[in-house]
Amino acid sequence: MRDRPSGFLNPWFQLGLNILCVLAYELLLKAGATATADPSKSWSWTGITGLTSPLIWLAIAFIILDLIIWLYLLKYIPLSIAFPLSRVVDVLVPISCWLMLKEGISPLRWLGIALVIIGLAIVAKPAASLEERL
Amino acid sequence: MTLWSLVLILVWLVTFVAGQLFFKRAMELSSATGFRNRKIISILSAGLFSMTISFFLNLGLLQRFDLSYLYPFQGLSVLFISLMAAIVLKEKLTLRLTIGALLISAGIVLVSMS
Repeated sequence: MRDRPSGFLNPWFQLGLNILCVLAYELLLKAGATATADPSKSWSWTGITGLTSPLIWLAIAFIILDLIIWLYLLKYIPLSIAFPLSRVVDVLVPISCWLMLKEGISPLRWLGIALVIIGLAIVAKPAASLEERL
Repeated sequence: MTLWSLVLILVWLVTFVAGQLFFKRAMELSSATGFRNRKIISILSAGLFSMTISFFLNLGLLQRFDLSYLYPFQGLSVLFISLMAAIVLKEKLTLRLTIGALLISAGIVLVSMS
């Protein structure tokens, strides 16, 4: 973690942008895949039939943007820290559905969300000490 | 779930994890020498190739299954990637990081089960 840029190019800020991109493309991919689902077609198991949906192309644009951001931050952050932290997206999806769409969350799902958040906090601690060593 | 879809899910996971490892390795090397290096370009291409396969398989699986069914497998990738980063890339995997990754994986599985 030498020569860490600050401001917009700060790798931790970029990790935040990466998470927003993943959130956007996960939702777009599922919407596009559902719109084009037709398991009777041959080759459909390769996912290639999804390319007929504009949503998938928009998702691909987000994936490419995400890839550039991800490659950039991997230069500075160890994979074993960056990847677990990037999965905060897995609790953001159900929580935003709960807040915005008033979807219910079962107790078991709340437990899962709590586990992910505790796990993130545990992983974030070594990430913070990584900063201090600079 | 058929055996075939289990195979597809496994290939999806393996190509995803491999792609991440290729990317990290390439970026590590690039900070010393820059990108004009045949070795780095081949590792980066291997990562892109691996990720592309994983992307299309994921799309095919999403057409067949609910996101909530596929998510637990994605949760496992947290654990796999942390372990493989330690083994292949020699990143320092502390007990703390392992427990964190384990909790995140377990949490994602629970979120998608309910």
